Amino acid sequence: MTEGTGTPEQGSGANPINRIPARPGGLSTWQAMRRSWQAYVLLAPIFILLLVFNYYPPILGLLRAFYRWRPGVEASFVGLQHFGVYFTSPETPRELLNMFKLLAFFFFSGAVIPFIMAVLIFRIRDNESKELYRLFLIIPMLVPLIVVILLWKQIYDPNLGVINGLLEQFGLGFLARNWLGDTATALYAIMFMGFPWVSGVGTLIYLGGLGQISESIFDACEVDGCTGLRRTLKIDLPLVLGQVRLMTILAVIAGVTSFQTILVLTDGGPGFATMVPGLTMFHKAFRTQQFGYAASIGMILFVITFGATLAVNRTVQPAVEDVRH
Amino acid sequence: MSTTTSTQVAPSTRRPLRYYQIGSHLFITVMLLLSLIPTYLLITWSFKNGLQYRWERWAISFPLRWRNYIAAWDIVGDYMINTIIVAIIGLMGMLLLSLIGGYVFARMDFPFRETLYYAIIALLMVPWVLSFIPAYMVYVRLGLLNNRLSMIIPELAGGPIFGIFLMRAFIAGIPEELFESARCDGAGVLDLIGRITLPLSLPGLATLAVLNFIGVWNSFLWPLVMIQDDEKQMIAVGLYKLARSATYGGVAGWTSQDFSVWGPLYAGYVIASLPLVLLFIVLGKFYVEGLVDSGLKV
Repeated sequence: MTEGTGTPEQGSGANPINRIPARPGGLSTWQAMRRSWQAYVLLAPIFILLLVFNYYPPILGLLRAFYRWRPGVEASFVGLQHFGVYFTSPETPRELLNMFKLLAFFFFSGAVIPFIMAVLIFRIRDNESKELYRLFLIIPMLVPLIVVILLWKQIYDPNLGVINGLLEQFGLGFLARNWLGDTATALYAIMFMGFPWVSGVGTLIYLGGLGQISESIFDACEVDGCTGLRRTLKIDLPLVLGQVRLMTILAVIAGVTSFQTILVLTDGGPGFATMVPGLTMFHKAFRTQQFGYAASIGMILFVITFGATLAVNRTVQPAVEDVRH
Repeated sequence: MSTTTSTQVAPSTRRPLRYYQIGSHLFITVMLLLSLIPTYLLITWSFKNGLQYRWERWAISFPLRWRNYIAAWDIVGDYMINTIIVAIIGLMGMLLLSLIGGYVFARMDFPFRETLYYAIIALLMVPWVLSFIPAYMVYVRLGLLNNRLSMIIPELAGGPIFGIFLMRAFIAGIPEELFESARCDGAGVLDLIGRITLPLSLPGLATLAVLNFIGVWNSFLWPLVMIQDDEKQMIAVGLYKLARSATYGGVAGWTSQDFSVWGPLYAGYVIASLPLVLLFIVLGKFYVEGLVDSGLKV
């Protein structure tokens, strides 16, 4: 999946087996299971909770995508009807296009910009400034996400917003507009939220990755006169490809599934200008009670995320491990 | 001669580096200042009355209206308490299950151990969009709609998925000799977990706790659909509803043309940020690790 999930194999999978005394030979699986009843008893509450609340819902969702389904009514099988309806409805191309635009942009704002920021901070020689910059990266993250979204909504406000206020102050009042209420700008206003996109988990993850690179590599670089942009492209980037892959996958998932921001900022409007499939799913379920239809959109989004994640995993292969310490 | 050459060479190689460093400092500072603008506006607005908000949008206005914070607590206090209670109950259970699960998978040997482990870890790959709608239906069927349990259970059941992943790696790093000598003294499994594993895995648990607290504090869509009564509502949805009524009128006789509602509303936003700030001050290192780990939780 990601680099992080690869660690248990080295961290825990191999070591404890060596340390724990081997099972006495000649024991059948059944006997061994009876002997280790304690382990199963300890795991039982976890698995009961997981079965009911974490295994059952997604499986149910995959099945009910083919049913007409709402609370209190017997579900009835409709086959592929929901998928037919979704892919032939006039709003769908717009939604998918919006989703792919957001996805592409999230790659830029979530994977590219933080990388540049992290490289710049990493190369600062003065350690005190470095620490200070890290602190300032974190401060905006101490504000809850909903507050950030609501603040940006206020910043964009046509009458009270500071963007229009600034434009008028500088004599550019003719540029002022209802950023979120204008079909031409709404989607871009949603993307612009969080400008300049440097503070966030991304920069910290990249900084962590750069910190893992062995010092000797940078020394060798300097001797060979490999500095500046060339070092960034030839040394830094290949050595944090694991992080690049992670941030790319996160951007894909955010692009496909995170409609919370859109729900709060525009609710898909004006018209269908900022509608995305995830928000349609939400509306269909909780405004028109079409839970089966919503489940089928959820399934489509799952397939898209899963396919895109696999594709990213295939194309972005992290560099060999022996260059780290 | 040698000294002159070295002084001639040194500046020519160092100067671009120096400029590069100064340029970087400048660029980073500008970017960080830009990203702090919303936070700055949030804090300054929270101290303004209606007139100050209307006419002094960028500057800090004096006198500071501390009273906004009293008014704000009246409107966000209940949401905060609800969320903290849910977070703490859920956290306790989540940490306990993660600790037990982590211990069992790291330290015990039993048939199907790896199969069971990967059956848990595989759930990390199920995106929430797939389970959001059916989970709602399951909770409705169980009669948990508009029930605080519907906020606690996801933490309790879903939290240990990543928790076991993290704690297994963590507990595997504890030297086996400690467990062995305890076993020789006749310690049972629960002693090994409670007396040896627990004290030694506090850093891992702290990271998990911070990560989950941030998650509960930010949870929005789930309480939006599950909780109907305002007195049970969670903080994120509460703030969303307050912002709506500040814009369109509604709660507490607020009307959209009344600029005096904004100061207390922003003070409410600041109050809602304080638990995260406090958590960062107390558990700073774990906070950053928690955030980074949350990135790994794809």
